[in-house]
Amino acid sequence: MPTSKPVAAVDLALQTIAPYDRSDLRTRLQHARSRLLDGRVRVLIVGEFKQGKSLLVNGLVSAPVCPVYDDVATLVPTVVHAAATARATLVRLPAEDGGTANDSDGELPAMERVEIPIAELAGHICEAGNPGNAQRWHHAEIGIPRVVLAGGLELVDTPGVGGLNSVHGAATMAALPSADAVLLVSDASAEYSSTELEFLRQAKSVCPNVACVLTKTDVYPDWRRIAELDRHHLRTAGVDAELLAVSSTLRIASIESKDADLDSESGFPALIAYLRERVVGQADQLARRSTAHDILAVIEQLAVTLRSEHAAHADPESAQTVIAELTQAQQRSAALKERSARWQHTLNDGVADLNADIDYDLRDRMREISREAEEEVDNGGDPHKIWDQLSSWAEQEAASAVATNYLWTTQRARWLADQVAEHFSTEGTEVLPKLRTETGDALEYVREMQLREGEKFGTSQKALSGLRGSYVGVLMFGMLGTVVGLPLINPFSLGAGLLLGGKGLADDRRRILARRQSEAKAAIRRYLDDVIFQVSKESRDMLRRVQRDLRDHFTSRAEELNRSLQASLASAQRSVNVSATERKRRLAEIPGELDKLEKLQRKVRTLVSDGDISNVVPDLSPEHAPSDSPASQSPITALS
Amino acid sequence: MTGAAQLNGAVRGLLRLAAKSFADQPEIAHQLDEQLRRLDQPLRVAIAGKVKAGKSTLLNALVGEQVAATDSAECTRVVTWYQDGPAPAVVMYPQVGAPRPLPVQRHDGALVIDMQATAAEEVERLLVDWPSQSLREMTLIDTPGIASTSAQATHRTVTFLTPADEAVTEADAVVYLMRHLHATDAQFLESFRDQAVSQASSANTVAVLSRADEVGGGRVDAMSSARMIANRYRTEPALRGLCQTVVPVSGLLALTGRTLRRAEFAALTELARLPRAESDAALLSVDRFTSSGTAEPSRLSARAADDIVSAQTRRRLLDRLGLFGIRLSVTLIRQGTDSPAALAGELLRRSGVYELTEVLRTLFTSRRDLLKARSALLLVENALTHKDLHDSARKALAAEIERIVAGAHELTELRLLSAIRSGEITLPDGQAAEAERLLGGSGVSTAVRLGVPADSEREALRHAGMHLLGQWQTRAESPLSGRANAYVCRAVARSCEGMLVALSATETHSDAGSPAKQS
Repeated sequence: MPTSKPVAAVDLALQTIAPYDRSDLRTRLQHARSRLLDGRVRVLIVGEFKQGKSLLVNGLVSAPVCPVYDDVATLVPTVVHAAATARATLVRLPAEDGGTANDSDGELPAMERVEIPIAELAGHICEAGNPGNAQRWHHAEIGIPRVVLAGGLELVDTPGVGGLNSVHGAATMAALPSADAVLLVSDASAEYSSTELEFLRQAKSVCPNVACVLTKTDVYPDWRRIAELDRHHLRTAGVDAELLAVSSTLRIASIESKDADLDSESGFPALIAYLRERVVGQADQLARRSTAHDILAVIEQLAVTLRSEHAAHADPESAQTVIAELTQAQQRSAALKERSARWQHTLNDGVADLNADIDYDLRDRMREISREAEEEVDNGGDPHKIWDQLSSWAEQEAASAVATNYLWTTQRARWLADQVAEHFSTEGTEVLPKLRTETGDALEYVREMQLREGEKFGTSQKALSGLRGSYVGVLMFGMLGTVVGLPLINPFSLGAGLLLGGKGLADDRRRILARRQSEAKAAIRRYLDDVIFQVSKESRDMLRRVQRDLRDHFTSRAEELNRSLQASLASAQRSVNVSATERKRRLAEIPGELDKLEKLQRKVRTLVSDGDISNVVPDLSPEHAPSDSPASQSPITALS
Repeated sequence: MTGAAQLNGAVRGLLRLAAKSFADQPEIAHQLDEQLRRLDQPLRVAIAGKVKAGKSTLLNALVGEQVAATDSAECTRVVTWYQDGPAPAVVMYPQVGAPRPLPVQRHDGALVIDMQATAAEEVERLLVDWPSQSLREMTLIDTPGIASTSAQATHRTVTFLTPADEAVTEADAVVYLMRHLHATDAQFLESFRDQAVSQASSANTVAVLSRADEVGGGRVDAMSSARMIANRYRTEPALRGLCQTVVPVSGLLALTGRTLRRAEFAALTELARLPRAESDAALLSVDRFTSSGTAEPSRLSARAADDIVSAQTRRRLLDRLGLFGIRLSVTLIRQGTDSPAALAGELLRRSGVYELTEVLRTLFTSRRDLLKARSALLLVENALTHKDLHDSARKALAAEIERIVAGAHELTELRLLSAIRSGEITLPDGQAAEAERLLGGSGVSTAVRLGVPADSEREALRHAGMHLLGQWQTRAESPLSGRANAYVCRAVARSCEGMLVALSATETHSDAGSPAKQS
């Protein structure tokens, strides 16, 4: 397990700080520990349909877990992760109970889980067995014991149905920010299309690792040229992503024949190495980095207290100046805790701005869709005839608008977190908590667009309205005729009856068409309203979660700082009054304690450099080491 | 049919009249003139589709020679016309300036067009004259792929096939290639539907499931798998309204089948002689098949293959046939296909190109006059919106168009066909299929329309015709039919009448109808 070393380090640190009565620091380390333990690394496998995504997953785990067909495509996202025994679970949202399934604190609703035999999976997650996902599965989970998946690696086979720019594509987009890596799968028959390049560009902006996988190299003689062209396209588009060529067929053949040469030809070893080193490695590196940061910060705070005590004991004359400095620092750090602190303002204002902005953005997008749809209805004659097309168009547009809106929200939220962190450290060393920007599928709760059957205009209705018109006509003109002595039924009144009957019929038809059009427009508007309602609730919840996480994170940081300074202050003040023997004892003790902390510090540093592959940790360089800086300086500069 | 000839004459008159009205607008007059000449030319069939769908390969397969350049990278960047001519010639039409002849170069049997450093953006189109039997029936137009990485190439195709307003599309019919039914494909097909005059949308479009040999990674049963996919697409409501039918075709297999060389057959025979296990191992992947074999001692199989067929030959075979083609050929030879001609025939049969040419023949070439007339009517109708046209002339032209459209039952047939297919008009179950067939949805020959065997006696044809006529007349008069449905039923009955009239007219001549020729 790659996480075992950081966990051991955290345990050691917990032991070391046990003698100091600092529950706040202990909680921080315990948080770090639990974060390490459930670290999952999500890899999204995306691409146009029929490019070999499911087969790629099968090749990676060397088992036919995802169903593969020549024709129909996967419909439900499939998550493949490590487990002790092979098992498959289908997951869906609980049966509809309106849009209020989310409780007020914004937690995602509980899912309904059904365990099934792996062999039956195909019947549930493919177009063939479950057309249009009538069973409403949200996703499927497959557990399988595999070394490849160690280290919390999770492969997500995304649906290819409809291609990248469809409703499903939009759902894939929305999953991007929560992924640790994205593999774009494209087969070697053709170079990248503009859609694929656009997708890569967007993926790159929100996801740390994006790689391109060129599949089916066993069938296409010119795959090397295609790979070269694709690399060229990537360069021109300014997307910095690695391109790996693989052949799932060869990989599967190599597993059957246990032929190592064939395996290396299939390109899978390189892909697995990429996943292990770059994706899992980087996630591991990130985990080590944040763990090291946590431990170092804790040590630092304890060391500051010890050092100021030491200084006060060693030179009682200067104790007063130390106390004065510390008091000042403590006052400043106390201010950080206050609600009126600057970072609080930044956070609150930022979230409020963000709320307003994304709401506006969402409404604007929906308005545009509604406008276009209404134009279409106005030009399209009877909306009943084009309703299927129109409603699926509107749904797709809405889904992709929501996805774009959501990506933007995530980006802005991350930026906001950085802004707030700047108040705490000028060097940008603050490791931010992982923002919980995942949202539920808001569109799941949106009620389907429905056009009421409305008034039928069948033969009997037509006959009736024609009759009504002609009756009035005959009566009217017949009565007029009686004035000049004609019978009630005469050629004129009959003619008028026919005319008015025809007119009545035409009027009714026009009226019904107009009503249908306005009903169609209303249905679309209602749907978009629903989308806005649900999505804005989702994104408000998400922002609230982000806000709460950031506030808790920074408040606890501020509190820790404050407590450390208070402790330093208290010990410095104590040192003024203590007896000479006591002073001597402490002076002898403190270097030992500091030494212990320094040892831990060194150990933690090796933790980072051990797993350091790409040298991604410039911010923990030795010049920040507390031993080099004056005793009380570093927490104080952190406040400025 | 005589109706089509009459229609042709009427359209000719209309075009002349329009040309007169636009005498002071040389540009439009020229267009109309051009259209008039077009009526006598072969049908223009554009081959369209997404980038890398295999358009140029299919065009080559239809012509039977390497006239369009093919490459694994995006390759066709200019709209290129291929028409029948006495001798090979290439002419470039730049966006500005006079047409320029280009030298005809052949490299390894393939035509190479050198645009002489002219950028693709500056060229409106290329015109290639090529003596070929297949081009005598229809002029083929190769287009750059849509959804290409180069936005301009996409733009060129889209403007060519669906011009913004002014001009009318230059193609009379479209063969749309797709590898899978993709959102972009449906969108494009939809935009190709045209409005106005004939309102026949799907009538002039056929979809092709291209590169069918690559389905499922080139397994030996790839073509039958492709056939099943095509069957499914054919019944897909989204696609039904957009095209006439879907045919799976492997362009590469068809082209090689038409041009198979003796040396290639010999090499394939050698491969087939290898023990099955060895040839299977060599055919596992393209790299294994082409690797020289000496680099790594572990690749025994590849080395064995190398002894008998050189690496260079194998590479060429791969380009010509693809992995599927080689697998198929080796299997066929093992099963007893023993001559180049027999293998070529088998490849052609399996490539699906026969089905495609048959579909093109029944749906397009036999309707040539009709489709041409339709294009012409569209052009004139578009010209009516021109602001400098006199009101009197406009009225006269509009009336003439109306007269032609109302009088041409063939146009009505086309319009109704697509209305039924797109679901605009819904007929009761069972009636829709029959109506489509009678309106000429699966072919215009009398036997096909009546749904009787192609070699039926005239008497049998007439009998079937009378029976159907009676049925549809009853339906048309049934008070339960809605107005639209009654209209369709009357039109179908009219089609039946037309066929019966044609049958009795030919009675005095030698033979009836035009039953489907050999396939």
